[in-house]
Amino acid sequence: MTAPIPFTVIGGFLGAGKTTLLNRLLAGVVGRRFAVLVNDFGALDIDSELAAKHGGDTIALSNGCLCCTIGDSLVATLLALLERSDELDHIVVEASGVADPGRIADLATLEARLHRDGVIVVVDADDVQRRAADRRVGDTVLRQLKAADLLVLNKIDLTNDPSVVRTWLGGQSAAPVLEARHADVPLALLFGLDQHGVSQGDGNPKPFRSWSYSWPDAVDRSALLAMLNEAPSHILRAKGIVRFADSADRRSTVHMVGRRVDISEDGSWPGNAESRLVLVGTSAMLHSFERSETAWPAD
Amino acid sequence: MSTVVYSARRIITMNPNQPFATHMAVRDGRILGAGPIESLKGWGKFEVDDRFADKVILPGFVEGHSHAYEGGVWKFPYVGYFDRTSPDGALARGLKSIDEVVAALQAYEKKMPRDDSTLLAWGFDPIYFGGRRMNLADLDKVSTARPVVVLHSNFHVLNANTPVFAKAGITRHTNVHGVVKDERGEPTGELQENTAKFMAYKAAGVELAAILSDDAATWGFAKVAQLAGVTTATDLHNTLPDSTVAAYLAASASMDFPLRLLPAFAAFSMPPDEGIARLRQLAKKNNERLRFQLVKIITDGSIQGLSARMRWPGYYDGTPNGVWNVGPDEIDRLLLAYHRAGFQVHIHTNGDEASEVAIEAVERALAAAPRWDHRHTLQHAQMADAGQFRRLKALGMCANLFANHLFYWGDIHYAKTLGPERAERMDACGTALKHGVPLAIHCDAPVTPIGPLFTAWCAVNRLTASGRTLGEVEKISVADALHAITLGAAYTLKLDEELGSIDVGKRADFAILDDDPLAVPPEKLKDVGVWGTMLGGRVFEAPRV
Repeated sequence: MTAPIPFTVIGGFLGAGKTTLLNRLLAGVVGRRFAVLVNDFGALDIDSELAAKHGGDTIALSNGCLCCTIGDSLVATLLALLERSDELDHIVVEASGVADPGRIADLATLEARLHRDGVIVVVDADDVQRRAADRRVGDTVLRQLKAADLLVLNKIDLTNDPSVVRTWLGGQSAAPVLEARHADVPLALLFGLDQHGVSQGDGNPKPFRSWSYSWPDAVDRSALLAMLNEAPSHILRAKGIVRFADSADRRSTVHMVGRRVDISEDGSWPGNAESRLVLVGTSAMLHSFERSETAWPAD
Repeated sequence: MSTVVYSARRIITMNPNQPFATHMAVRDGRILGAGPIESLKGWGKFEVDDRFADKVILPGFVEGHSHAYEGGVWKFPYVGYFDRTSPDGALARGLKSIDEVVAALQAYEKKMPRDDSTLLAWGFDPIYFGGRRMNLADLDKVSTARPVVVLHSNFHVLNANTPVFAKAGITRHTNVHGVVKDERGEPTGELQENTAKFMAYKAAGVELAAILSDDAATWGFAKVAQLAGVTTATDLHNTLPDSTVAAYLAASASMDFPLRLLPAFAAFSMPPDEGIARLRQLAKKNNERLRFQLVKIITDGSIQGLSARMRWPGYYDGTPNGVWNVGPDEIDRLLLAYHRAGFQVHIHTNGDEASEVAIEAVERALAAAPRWDHRHTLQHAQMADAGQFRRLKALGMCANLFANHLFYWGDIHYAKTLGPERAERMDACGTALKHGVPLAIHCDAPVTPIGPLFTAWCAVNRLTASGRTLGEVEKISVADALHAITLGAAYTLKLDEELGSIDVGKRADFAILDDDPLAVPPEKLKDVGVWGTMLGGRVFEAPRV
C-alpha cells in the first residue's frame, strides 16, 4: 500500500483569512499536488493561466493541484476524492467559519489512506476577542482555537497593541503561533514541505530553519515525548525515524505538528541505522532552542 | 370535459363558508364545487360516483417538512422500535428488543449474496430498551465477515460490527470525537455525528446519496406519502444535483405519480448568486407534480443530538451548547440574498438561540429589502417561546412545528435535554395559534414516519412514548390540527390559493378516510384509516396488504 496522504485542515472564523492562505498555497506550491477542498470557488484567486480544466465541482490547475467545492457534504466529497488518491500528494480542507476543524481532522484517523497532518487555525488579530465574547459564536471561536495545532495570528498589522491579543491567545491555546499580515506565512512550515515544495521566487530570506539530530542508540520514548512537548514555542514541526528502546526492533515514525505528537510503527528497524529527527521552526527562537538542547535524550 | 360528482359520508372542506358537504364535483382535475347535490346540478351534465359514499373526504394532506430519501431508505431493512409502513403498503413490524433486531438482521443476512457487501439497516432507536445499548458483539452475531452498519432513527448515530471497526483501525487507542467507549475504554460499536456519517458512507459506498434519491426512491416516497393521505409533500433540503433533478422530472412526468413534490434547494451548497440562477433555471421545468420554488437554510443541529443552539441556560443536563452548521453571519448573508431575489426561505432551527438568530436575520433582511408576504418559515422551532412567536407574527413569518417529536423524544427532552419546564412547552402549537402565527406541523420523514393524522394526534394529545402528557395548554383542537396538515401547511408553502381546502377552482387533491377525524375520540385520531387519495381528480387507492 502506498504511503498515506497528509491531511491538513484550515479552520478559523469567517473573515480570518483562510482563503488568503489557500490562495498563497495554490500560487506558491511547486512539485507537490495539493487537493484543496473549499466552500466556495468564487473566493479563490485562480487566474486563467493557472486554471487548466474546470469540471463543475472541480478545477484542475496547471501546477498539478486540484480545487474541489465541498458542496453539501464534506464526507462524501472527501471519499470521492480519495478514489483518485494516487494523483495527490496532500489534501487540505478549508473548514467552514463555524466548524470545529478538529472534528474534521478526526476523519484522517479513521481513514487508512490519510495521515492526519495538522489543524491550522487562522485568527483575525483585530477581531478575535470581540468574536470570542459574542454570546452566540464565542464558544465556537474558542473551540476552534483549542482544536488548533498551529495558529496563524493574521492581520497583526491592524492591531494597535499586538501584545494584548498575543497574551489573550496564549491563554486560550497551547499551540505555537505564527504572526502574519495578509496570511503571509512560510508555507513549508505549515504544510511540512521540504524546501523544494514551495516557490523560491519572492526573494525574501527564508523565515524558517531546520535542525537535524541523529542518535546511534535506541531512544527512550518518554524522554523524547517530554522534550518534544517542552520544545520552545517557535519549533513548529518535527519529523523523524526513530528506534525506541521499548520497541527496539521496530521502525517508528515520529510526527509533530505544533505540540501534537503522533508516533506510528511501520516496519522493522533496518540493521544498524541511526535514529534521525528533524525539527523545523522559525529562526527567531534559535538561541532559546539551543539552550534546551542539552536536555535532549540523545547519546 | 367530463364532470364527476362524488358522494361521501362527509366532506370536511376547510372552507369556513361551507365547512361540511355531502357531495363534490370534479372537472379537469379541479374542484368545481361542493355542497348538496342540488347545488351542483347547474354545472351541467355529470356522472355520479358513489364509491366513497361511506368515506370521509378531506383536502389532500400537505406535509410541509419531509425528505424524499424516505423513499430510498426502504431499499435497506428497517429495524426501528415502532411499526412502520413501507411504500408498498406492507407493515414493517417494530422490533422490541436488541435481540429481535439481531435476529431480524441475521435472517436478512442469510438472503444476501455471499460476498463482502455491506449490510446496512436503518431506523434503530435504543432509547426504548431501558438503557441497554447495542454493541459490537450484538452485530457480530449477524456477521463476522461482512460489514454490518445499523443507522439510528436520527441518522446521526450508528452501530457497526467488528469488521467495520477493524477495517477502520478503530481501537481503544483511537482518540476521535464520536467513537463511544465503555467504562474500560473499549469502543462499544456506536459511532456518532461526523464519525458516524463518514463510516456509513465508507461502508455503504459514496453513491449512497444517489441511491437514496434515484427514480425508484422518488416513487417510493410518493407512495409512502400517498398511503398516509398526503398529496403534497416537500423534500425539504436537497442540493439538487443533476441526477436528482432528472429522477424527479422523470417520476413527476407520469400521471401515475401520486404526489405534488416540492424540493427545497439547500442554500449553503453553493454561493447564492449561483444558487439563485440555478433555482430560476429549475423553476422553468416545473410541472403539475413538481415545483421548484423553496429554499432551505440549516442553522443548528438537533436537540436530542446535543447539537442544538440554545439560549441560556442551555441543556438541562449541562451538556455544552450545540454547534452551528451555518453561523449567524452566513445565515444573514444567505437569507438576504434569497430574500432579495424573491424566494421564500425555510429555516431549520431546533434550539431557541437558532430561532432567535433566524428571526433577527429576517428582521434585518426586511429592513434592507422590504417585502410583503414573504412567509419565511421557521422549521422545527421546537423551543420557540411566546416572545419568539410574537416576533414571528410581527414579521409575517410562519412556523412549522415538529409535533412528532413530542411522542418520539418527549421523554428524553423531559428528563435530559430540556428539563420539565421547557419540555412542557416545546413545539408550542397552542401558543403559535394564540398569537396568530400561521402554523403547520410535520414529521421530518424519514426521521419519523410520514403520517399527518399521527402528527395531528401528537399536536392534539401531546403524549410521549411513555404516556406522559407534555403541556396541557399547548394542546390544540382536532379542527385546528386538521387545518395545520392541510390549508395551514399549504400556506407555509405559498400553495394555499391552489390547494389545501375544498373550494371552487382548487386542485382536486383529497385524502379519503375510512372514518371521520372530527367524530372519533381525539385520542384515536392517529388510528383513522386512510383509504387512499385523489390527485388532480385521479384516484389512488392505497394497496390493501
